Amino acid sequence: MTIMTKMKGAATAFSFAALMSVGGASLASAEDVTLTMAVPDWPPTRIMKKFFDEQYKPKSGNTVKLEVDFIPWPDFYTRVNASLTSGEQKYNFIVSDSQWLGAFVEGGYFRKINDLLDADPDFMATFKTIHPNPLNAYSTYPHKTENYYGFPQFPDVLVNFARADIICHDEEQKNFQAKYGKKLPCTGEELDAMTWDDFKNVGEFFQRKKGDMLAGKPAEDDFYGIAFQAGKGYDFSSMQINGFIWQMGGDTWDETKAPQGQAEGVVNSPAAVEALTKYLDLIQYMPPVAKTGTMDIFVSDQLFREGKVAMNIDWIGLGEASLAADSKVKDKLVFGQMPGTMGADGKMIRWSNIGGQPFVLTTWTTESQTKEAVDFVKWWLSNDIQHQFAAGGGQSAVKAVYEDPKYVTYRPWNRAWAPQLEWQKDVWHVPQFFELLTQQQDQFDLAITGKQDAKTTLDNIAKFQQDKLKEVGLIE
Amino acid sequence: MATLAEKFGLRKASGVGEAGWGHTLIVALVSLIYFLPVLMIIFTAFKPSAQALSVPPTLSPTSLFGLIPDQFVFTPTLENFGQVFNRVMVSGSAAEPTGFDVFFFNSFFISSVSVLLALVIGTLASYGFSRYPLKGNDTYLFIILTTRMLPAIVVIIPIILMFRTVGLSGSYLGIIMLYTAFNLAFTIWMMKSFFDELSYDVEDAARIDGSSEIKVFMKICLPQVVAGLAATFVFGLILTWNEFLFALLLTGVDTRTVPVAMNQAVSSGGRGTDWTLLASIETLFLIPVFLVTFFLQNHLLRGVTFGTVKR
Amino acid sequence: MTTTAQFLPAPPLFSPVAHNWKLAILAGLVVSAVAIVLFPAKLSLGVAGAMAALIAAAFTVNAYRRRYYGGLLVAPAIAVLFVMNIFPLLWSLGLSFFAYQSNNQSIRFVGLNNYIKVLTNDIAAPANWDALINTGMFVVFTVALQMITGFLLAMLFAKQFPLRKYLLILVLTPMMLSVVASGVFFSYYYDPTFGILSYVMGEITGNQFILMDNKLGAVAGIVFTDAWMWAPFVMLLVLAGLVSVPKYLYEAAAIDRVSKPRQFWTITFPYIRGLLMLALLFRTIEAFKLYDLVYILIRGGQDTKTIAYLITEIANEQNKTSEGAALSYVILFMVIVLTNLYLYLANRRNKGA
Repeated sequence: MTIMTKMKGAATAFSFAALMSVGGASLASAEDVTLTMAVPDWPPTRIMKKFFDEQYKPKSGNTVKLEVDFIPWPDFYTRVNASLTSGEQKYNFIVSDSQWLGAFVEGGYFRKINDLLDADPDFMATFKTIHPNPLNAYSTYPHKTENYYGFPQFPDVLVNFARADIICHDEEQKNFQAKYGKKLPCTGEELDAMTWDDFKNVGEFFQRKKGDMLAGKPAEDDFYGIAFQAGKGYDFSSMQINGFIWQMGGDTWDETKAPQGQAEGVVNSPAAVEALTKYLDLIQYMPPVAKTGTMDIFVSDQLFREGKVAMNIDWIGLGEASLAADSKVKDKLVFGQMPGTMGADGKMIRWSNIGGQPFVLTTWTTESQTKEAVDFVKWWLSNDIQHQFAAGGGQSAVKAVYEDPKYVTYRPWNRAWAPQLEWQKDVWHVPQFFELLTQQQDQFDLAITGKQDAKTTLDNIAKFQQDKLKEVGLIE
Repeated sequence: MATLAEKFGLRKASGVGEAGWGHTLIVALVSLIYFLPVLMIIFTAFKPSAQALSVPPTLSPTSLFGLIPDQFVFTPTLENFGQVFNRVMVSGSAAEPTGFDVFFFNSFFISSVSVLLALVIGTLASYGFSRYPLKGNDTYLFIILTTRMLPAIVVIIPIILMFRTVGLSGSYLGIIMLYTAFNLAFTIWMMKSFFDELSYDVEDAARIDGSSEIKVFMKICLPQVVAGLAATFVFGLILTWNEFLFALLLTGVDTRTVPVAMNQAVSSGGRGTDWTLLASIETLFLIPVFLVTFFLQNHLLRGVTFGTVKR
Repeated sequence: MTTTAQFLPAPPLFSPVAHNWKLAILAGLVVSAVAIVLFPAKLSLGVAGAMAALIAAAFTVNAYRRRYYGGLLVAPAIAVLFVMNIFPLLWSLGLSFFAYQSNNQSIRFVGLNNYIKVLTNDIAAPANWDALINTGMFVVFTVALQMITGFLLAMLFAKQFPLRKYLLILVLTPMMLSVVASGVFFSYYYDPTFGILSYVMGEITGNQFILMDNKLGAVAGIVFTDAWMWAPFVMLLVLAGLVSVPKYLYEAAAIDRVSKPRQFWTITFPYIRGLLMLALLFRTIEAFKLYDLVYILIRGGQDTKTIAYLITEIANEQNKTSEGAALSYVILFMVIVLTNLYLYLANRRNKGA
């Protein structure tokens, strides 16, 4: 829209007629269908919109328009939540974090799609080619039941971003071998084989002050071995800590076992305490900002891009930025799976918390809109488009796509994708998730900033969850 | 200026003393230090994005003939300002318009109209409160003040509901009305305190001379509170210009304002803060209020209270 | 002082004439209340709107008939405020007596339970009290710092000197920034790896400096940023008072050999007292709502959560609408008490002077 048309628009905004028409102008005739979508503003959703505009031809012959409201990430929840709960009924599609499902399904805003799947075998077939782990996380509520809601928009997992120029340097390799009696991981496969103990060694090994030798040169600034999310905001420590707890035999409160499953005794089990202790033990090797409790996924990514750390565990969604023109490490990267924990049987345990977002349909979407929406989703999940999406920097949870040998060639981290999908779990989807999350994040923050130990932290979390979930009947 | 006012023997006050360049030097030092964090934002807007976070922080676009060590100097570029309006959204494709021209227009249109509206309505009301006190005047004034006391997040749900019901959500009119109300409390309190400070003698003299109430208001009272009007306008503009929460929740794609869109740069393109982009948006966004304030400064500081004895 | 004579007697409360605004308000409130209870949200909103229009009409007719200029002048402002501010305020006040979550359709009257829960419940209350103490602390620190800085800056600019105009605008600029931009940039200035503060401190002391790794540092960081942004507001108000002091008063004082401090208290201060009070009032109210900077700089960590922060978590993130409303009304009550105290003290001094 140009400034001139805006001027005209503004001039008429004061006329009563224009005023009254603003609210209800979404549908015109049966031939024109507009789908309105609320999405966070970032490349995966921009790509979706671009593909739609350039390539989508509705089978029905109708004119279908996709109107996308790109909302900046930091305010996305606030905007969507206010729109849904106030009954604004503005959007047909909403990109939703998987944890939001319960809150918005119970509120009656997200549309169950079982009838659509049943009515359309094609659709069902496409839907079932999605890997079960992301499918359960993104689509089912109650969790892991056959009640479906969402489709993957951008599926995501945690991977290990590493600096090849540092970790593969001969000098560093030699010194690491001498100090730990183990090879310093350098290739993607070697990164895959890392345990958290190896990760800790890397952290300890690469603590360098400004001027110390680093990969054959004096370091220009203080340098650190490792980084991962340890921030108080949103879910920016839980997503990492959950992986530790699951890998080391602990558990979070399991919503699929409700109402018998307990929080107390589970959340603060000795295994969980041990896992959290291990997590906290790594904070000391991270850049100093971790001590303030603001080391979120973006801060650790920024430190990595600016060349201050050797390894960073972060979402694939932030991968593109590390390859961008202004990234100081763009041509020195190697990627691997997130470190795991060696099981008693000698097999690696790799549980990790799934990231990414599904998109869902809303309940006030009309029948004709729903029809077009289903066609659009089928098109979106089709192999061809998913391949294009992955080639443009997206990820795909559709089996035929990520198992295609071409897939790993799209991006350097894609080789970690398929094996990691097998190990993805998700946290709670219950409507109370935000309360649980806020309290947990606050408690983890106290531990991360050194104000209380792992045991006290998990005891507090367990007690709160037990009380809260009992109050709402999710624990008997 | 007000000839009628002069007729009744008002003279200008100038309570300010004169000071020389020595004073200028001291104030300049203080002002520059105070301005430094803003200057750093403006400089960031001119930095190449790879230099935005360099350590140590770069502080100057020029080495001032070798005065500043090279490590603190950055190479200025204008590229970031272009990025505000056109940038690559999807890696591998061409730059596309970001819509910021529209956002800037929206901010400009919505704030100026609503602040002016609030100024007119609020000045009338404050004159009423000051000159024709109602029964329970102070209570009314206090209730008006309470409208500013609750965090906006608490009252937002009924407002969204109301907007949707009457079809105002996403329209210019809705957000303008809301901002008008948002500015009223401050406008009324501020203007009332200015009207209260005026001497009633002059007004009464004018009334005895046969001037109508409207003429007294327009020709005697208003000219004496120009400083107040200017200050209120500036404050109102600054608050409205930067208002975030209402704008986030009540504007649509077409009526979105800059503070909402600005957060694109706080989490942009699949990464955290894009420092140079954020800085260039803020720098551009600063210019209009900066200019308005600069040009109203004369009014802000003329000291247009007239030299008659107070009350 | 001009007061308009009241030509007509006020109509009895229940007389149904067009200018009986008291009856209109009463009827409006009753009808709206009934509508809100009985009808769905959409319809009751319409009814409430119509009632507001009715009250406004009665008000105008009454004012016009009685040459009640005060009423007429004030009416448009009251009308806009009622629709856009007071009505939503009353709505959330009403909600605070119900058990209601905005993402849940059920609603049930619970009387004062939300208030009791907010103030005493063992899950919620300790956090609330902490937040309350933090809020009080922020209000005292940031308002004090703003008032002092603003006042000192105003004194600097109260004289006429070369380049005054250009220097003044530099000092005014911080308050023109959007809170997001200044908050995000201050988080950069404070950043231990990239920021200038840690760099300078590191060069001086030789040790790594992390401002926000403790409560004191976090509070200082937040207070400094907030005060830096808003001291210019105080300054401009004070300055407007300072420049309006008639020069001849000082000349007379100089002739009488009145000392400088005495000149300030007897001549200058009365001119800026009202504006200082206004600045204090508005900055206090804003400081009670402090949320953005606490969120942007430290995400409420290091025990810095304020009440406004808590309200955002409760009412927005967790959708516990009525509980959030109750908590905000507790705060509102406190702000009202405090501001009334200000106003009472100000008025007493006014009368004493």
